[in-house]
Amino acid sequence: MARRTFQRRRDGTLRVTLYTQEVDLLLLTARDMIGIVEHPPEGDVRDRLYPRAYLDPTEESAQAEFDALVHDDLVRSRREAFETIASGLEAARPAASGRVELTLSPNEETQWLTAVNDARLVIGAALGVTEDTDTEYAPDDPRFEYGVLYSWLTALHIELVTLLLDEIGESGTDDDGTDGEHRRPPGS
Amino acid sequence: MSPPDVEEITIPDTVEELLGEHETRPDVPWVVIVWNDPVNTFAYVIFVFQKLFGYSRAKASRLTNQVHYEGKAVVASGSREKCEADVARLHAHGLWATMQKDD
Repeated sequence: MARRTFQRRRDGTLRVTLYTQEVDLLLLTARDMIGIVEHPPEGDVRDRLYPRAYLDPTEESAQAEFDALVHDDLVRSRREAFETIASGLEAARPAASGRVELTLSPNEETQWLTAVNDARLVIGAALGVTEDTDTEYAPDDPRFEYGVLYSWLTALHIELVTLLLDEIGESGTDDDGTDGEHRRPPGS
Repeated sequence: MSPPDVEEITIPDTVEELLGEHETRPDVPWVVIVWNDPVNTFAYVIFVFQKLFGYSRAKASRLTNQVHYEGKAVVASGSREKCEADVARLHAHGLWATMQKDD
């Protein structure tokens, strides 16, 4: 069945339409993630959310400088993105259709785009997802619920990205990104 | 308007500005590398390359294929400061990016 979760409105905002069960699921996820992005478990989840900039071990001082400049801001922006999702869903009321509608500003839209993917990164790393992994686990597998959540978040994210790819279009530069200035396509 | 006789103090409000301020290292070329990972989708990686670097769909797709099939791709290059800013933006979008000197 064709359904559209994300629709661009004429004023440029993004309309999100969700079933109430989806709202509950996303709300639980967002609340969980606020704590995880601030205090990720050591190991794969942390490394995936906050990778090193330098692999070269002789660049430790540059890495420390990079972390000092970037890390706290990244943690904050991730936490704020999940807070935006949570507060938006808490405030939203079901429309006549019985589904829940909310409207995202351009900034909120970017927060949804990155936060839904961050949740996928966390869950994917925790599940140990690989290129060949199927996240449809057997119902008695302890990973079952998170496997279902991961698949649903993936479908949601793909729906949003499909819309954004369509809007950003085909054109752009074929030069290497070597300039200080990045040319941005209109509307981005 | 007369020139200020004391040095004005400005607070940098972007990573690029901040990084540029205390940079004393030689300006050797650096490259930004994006590594393959099993979670980010093709479509999303293409979108991020178009959005952050202004690349065409064709170039963004080529790079994404290279990441996927060869395990990594150089997606941008330039000074250390510029590459650090690019890596920070890629991390903020959930991509696994690192930087190194261009060999």
